[in-house]
Amino acid sequence: MQINIKYRPTFALAEVQLQPGEMVRAESGAMVSMSSHVQVSTDATMGGKGGLLGMLKRATLGGESFFTNRFTAAGAPGEVTLAPTLAGDMVVHELTADHALFIQGSSFVACQDGISLDTKFQGMKGFFSGENLFFLKATGDGPVVLNAFGGIETLDLDGELVVDTGHVVAFTSGLDYTVTKASKGWIDSFLSGEGLVLNFSGRGRLWLQSRNPGAYGKTVGALLPARKE
Amino acid sequence: MEHVVEHGPAFAWLRVGLAPGETIQAEAGAMVRRDVGVGMDTRLNAGYAAGFFRKIMAFFVALVRKMLGGETLFVNTFTGPASGSSEVVLAPSLSGQIVHHKLDGRTQLIVQAGSYLASTGSIDTKLRWGGLRMLLSREGLFLLECTGQGDLFITSYGDIIPVQVDGDYVVDTGHMVAYEGNLDFTVGGAGGGLKGLFLSGEGLVMTFRGTGTLYLQSRNVQGLVGWLTPMLR
Repeated sequence: MQINIKYRPTFALAEVQLQPGEMVRAESGAMVSMSSHVQVSTDATMGGKGGLLGMLKRATLGGESFFTNRFTAAGAPGEVTLAPTLAGDMVVHELTADHALFIQGSSFVACQDGISLDTKFQGMKGFFSGENLFFLKATGDGPVVLNAFGGIETLDLDGELVVDTGHVVAFTSGLDYTVTKASKGWIDSFLSGEGLVLNFSGRGRLWLQSRNPGAYGKTVGALLPARKE
Repeated sequence: MEHVVEHGPAFAWLRVGLAPGETIQAEAGAMVRRDVGVGMDTRLNAGYAAGFFRKIMAFFVALVRKMLGGETLFVNTFTGPASGSSEVVLAPSLSGQIVHHKLDGRTQLIVQAGSYLASTGSIDTKLRWGGLRMLLSREGLFLLECTGQGDLFITSYGDIIPVQVDGDYVVDTGHMVAYEGNLDFTVGGAGGGLKGLFLSGEGLVMTFRGTGTLYLQSRNVQGLVGWLTPMLR
């Protein structure tokens, strides 16, 4: 599998070249174009239990709905091009068995099939209610394509750093984190507009995006007319 | 203060390094990341106020600035630690560019209220009413007069284009970010009278006269709002 990112850094597009029989797994809706002999199958059970009904419930009632499609080049080499919803850069990370990758929900584009994506792992749920974020845990071997809202900064961290949660794209398992309020007091944190921040420590890689989708949405949303109920 | 703009012109952010005790003030919500030693304090966006009565006044001024000027109610001040790494990264919420403007205490920069990101030193911002006609255009309704000494960082929706004005110059109100120098402006329709105002789709324009520098942005937030609105169900 060869992945080539084009049109960086603002409207990046991932070109995936598949060998015969190779499969790439991408977030639902990411496909821009593909060779005519590439086969698509939708992964309906991703993200939890309950079968079809459970999936529909999650999709319509909101919450974490994360669906992927699998693209296979049948019989001959094929190509699939993928783009995320948000404008910005994309980067490929080679995942290996010695570490896990925690990916912010809106930052996952694609990965080699065989890499396992877990939405229900311990520790992350609940922290981000109000921030509307969820994280995926990716483990295995192979390339993972990440996208950013805006520009991507790749930091190899050895020490500590305080980061606004909405600006996190992904981080590796060598980093420990605690969720804290941004300022000294609760009122200050609410008023400072910073909300929750992640205090990272340890050794690992951290990717940040130069825009916060939640903040962008709030700013533009405030200017739009009220929805009619 | 060391500062660099990265990821511009479309998704620019500002990275600064603070000397021990050095401070930078930023609009609420702008922080992306900071080193653990950097201190962060939150206060009302109304200048420095001491004493009980002044604090009440400061609260009302900040509230007015938020409701009418679209600025944030609070600002955050970051302080460099005595030792250790002292980096802070700030970003605005919309897509676009960030430019640095040095104020020397003698000149002022007039900035569209939503375009303020951060400032250092003794820079003070005074809210100024843009004029009654500006009421029809949501942008540029309130302007900030920035004076004092220090580094000022302004943002734009789109890229920032500086224009040297010597004489007359006409600008769409939604594309005006800031101006300085000996410039005055009047607000009116683009031309074609009342019919032109409503049918040309151009809205209001500012006619600048004098000598100075005008800063424009290559995109218009009201354009985005107009494009999205019919899509809402």
